[in-house]
Amino acid sequence: MTDVSLQASKPDNPKGTRTLSILVENRFGVLSRIAGLFSARGYNIESLTVAGSSEPGLSRITMVVRCEPLLAQQILKQVDKLPDTVEASDLSETNCVERELILVRVRAPEGKRTTLLTEAEIFRARVVTATPENYVFEVTGDSGKVEAFLDVVRPYGIDEMVRTGKVALHRNLNSRVNENGDNAMPAAR
Amino acid sequence: MNAQLDKKRHPLAGKRMSGAEMIIQVLAEEGVDTIFGYTGGAILPTYDAIFRYNVEHESNRSEQIQLIVPANEQGAGFMAAGYARATGKVGVFIVTSGPAATNSVTPIRDSMADSVPVVLICGQVARNAIGTDAFQEAPVFNLMSSCAKHVFLVEDPEDLEITVRTAFEIARSGRPGPVVIDVPKDVQNWEGTFKGEGMLHFRGYENRMKALAAARLTEQDCLDFFDLLQRCERPLICAGGGIICGDAAERLREFSQKFQIPVVTTLMGIGSVDTTDKLSLHMLGMHGMAYANYAVMDCDFLITIGARFDDRVAGKVQEFAPRARYFAHIDIDAAEIGKVKTVTWFHVGSAQDALSDLMKGSGDFCKDFSKWLDHVDELKTNHVRNYDRESPAIQPPYVIECLNEITQGEAIICTGVGQHQMWAAQYLEVKHPRSFLTSGSMGTMGFGLPAAIGAQAACPDRLVIDIDGDGSMRMNLGELETATTYSLPIKVLVLNNQGDGMVRQWQKIYFGNRFSGSDKSLRQKDFVKTAEADGFEFAARLTDKKLLKKTLTEFVRFKGPAFLEVMIDPDACVYPMVGPGMGYKEMITGDYIVGRDAAENLPESPSKLTDSF
Repeated sequence: MTDVSLQASKPDNPKGTRTLSILVENRFGVLSRIAGLFSARGYNIESLTVAGSSEPGLSRITMVVRCEPLLAQQILKQVDKLPDTVEASDLSETNCVERELILVRVRAPEGKRTTLLTEAEIFRARVVTATPENYVFEVTGDSGKVEAFLDVVRPYGIDEMVRTGKVALHRNLNSRVNENGDNAMPAAR
Repeated sequence: MNAQLDKKRHPLAGKRMSGAEMIIQVLAEEGVDTIFGYTGGAILPTYDAIFRYNVEHESNRSEQIQLIVPANEQGAGFMAAGYARATGKVGVFIVTSGPAATNSVTPIRDSMADSVPVVLICGQVARNAIGTDAFQEAPVFNLMSSCAKHVFLVEDPEDLEITVRTAFEIARSGRPGPVVIDVPKDVQNWEGTFKGEGMLHFRGYENRMKALAAARLTEQDCLDFFDLLQRCERPLICAGGGIICGDAAERLREFSQKFQIPVVTTLMGIGSVDTTDKLSLHMLGMHGMAYANYAVMDCDFLITIGARFDDRVAGKVQEFAPRARYFAHIDIDAAEIGKVKTVTWFHVGSAQDALSDLMKGSGDFCKDFSKWLDHVDELKTNHVRNYDRESPAIQPPYVIECLNEITQGEAIICTGVGQHQMWAAQYLEVKHPRSFLTSGSMGTMGFGLPAAIGAQAACPDRLVIDIDGDGSMRMNLGELETATTYSLPIKVLVLNNQGDGMVRQWQKIYFGNRFSGSDKSLRQKDFVKTAEADGFEFAARLTDKKLLKKTLTEFVRFKGPAFLEVMIDPDACVYPMVGPGMGYKEMITGDYIVGRDAAENLPESPSKLTDSF
């Protein structure tokens, strides 16, 4: 029988990130309460997106947090206790699609512009605006693609960048529980 | 059809009312008979509404709402908590904005940590002044949202009435807790139409509450449970505060009697079983009874109900209940299952329903645990709670034992926090649930006196005793006057050891006797004069051990509020003690309780225990 002492786990323990998806009532202060559950335990939120969902009055929060799976599960259970929470799940290791959008301003001096555009084409990056000195690219994709694109353009020089943070959705409406059953919260037996 | 609808219609529906009047009207409908609170600028309209409500109901006093005004808002919060803990009803306190709201943070966090249903209504500066650093403005939503079960800031006055109603529902449903409503002053002054019905909707929460209510044990769940029980020889129940707040004490007693399973309780679980019962082993944990902790070490099946393996209970988690082959856990809060201890069998739902279901689903289960019960009896005899009975100084457990003789376990006891709290938890006999009110999780010094005032206001016919320490007493000393002002006949018993005893005990063990900040022997405080000045007609100090029983009897039997300071041995320590983060096998039992050989405490060792089972 293994015992889990949550207090003993360290915030800086690099055990990978978790993608959490939380459906909440769109009410005043909900975000600060949920964020508070993480900050109170000393965990940093790597990315966070909040916007309306398909149901009126409900918002979807997608959050990326760096912590161990068991701790993420415990925090999610705490999230699930908040009156404003409708549903909370850990999408990591589930069959889901993930996307992130970035806008990045890359230095593009005369002479390098064509090669830059060719390389950008590989990632289906679109030029959304351009000046004689630089291009602003828009790239959409999962973390792997976005990071790969950044690796390619970094040598040209990145002047500015903004990322939306990850959004994620199950491929299948009924696959809310991952293969290990990690999300099987004992709400009611 | 229309007639039926009309019948259901609230008699006041459609009436024009101010926001403040709506608040009081909803409180009255929620059955609130007592409000604790302190008025001030931003809550004036609501206090005015209480006054007018009571004038309107002059002819029927039972419909009036009693207002009890403390010396400090923290006191009001603990009074509301004492009221709620003693009755199970939602306690209500109403305070103004800014400093009053920040003074209320402590009782809100305390109530959250101990799952106590209270509703706090805070005045707030007018909506157009929020965020301008207005006079007496504090960010109540932000402050309280990290501490409370839920917080509302009423921005739309049309939502005020239904918000107040919803707050009560959230406070008492599921795992109970405190709910805060922040009401801007202009919302209190706003005038609108009273609806007489309606709630705010929380889709997820409502579904979870429905699921909880429907969460009954299936036949298979029961079979699984009794299969585990069948395979065990040494079952033990660990009962927590969930038994008390879930009103499951009666079921638990039936359950433990039916299957002859002994019970240890957590601090919050005291009163879930009659401590004088043969199957009761009193409290477990850091300062648990030696025999209770030994029973935890020896059991092979630990059935935890409404408790959460807190660090003061479990100590070193890996070594907790080392011989237990199985753990069962029943809790109303899904987040508690597997949080600290991985369990073999669990159920999320009400303790009362779960225990009923188990008793119904036990089929022809029958197992003789008499060998284990004999072992437990032996533990109780061999490692009986004890202290220096020959000492000329008054030993605090002796005071508690004398008190038991007088109250026979029938009183409501409140405590502060520290050594006196632990002595009370160890030595008090408590026959009923909701009779031992203490700040368990938060450990808030100063809890006892206001909690006793709240409990007495809720239960005017019960004997309510605050067992306090001199340190805890100082924290909310101002509330002595509240007891006399409202003629609440509480008995305040201060065990004075001239300092913060529990801190000193740790300083003795871990800090080389350096009593930094904890020694108060040179302080000038005269508690008896203080009590007299606050109107206590019975106020006495006791130093002579021989007079203890007589004085204590006079004190308890006194008709009105009474104050007794007992000068106890300042060197007395609380034993047993399991050091922080240690396992039960490292328990120190002191000079007067017989400890067990270290060898017997090792789970691997071929002890007498494994031979006999």
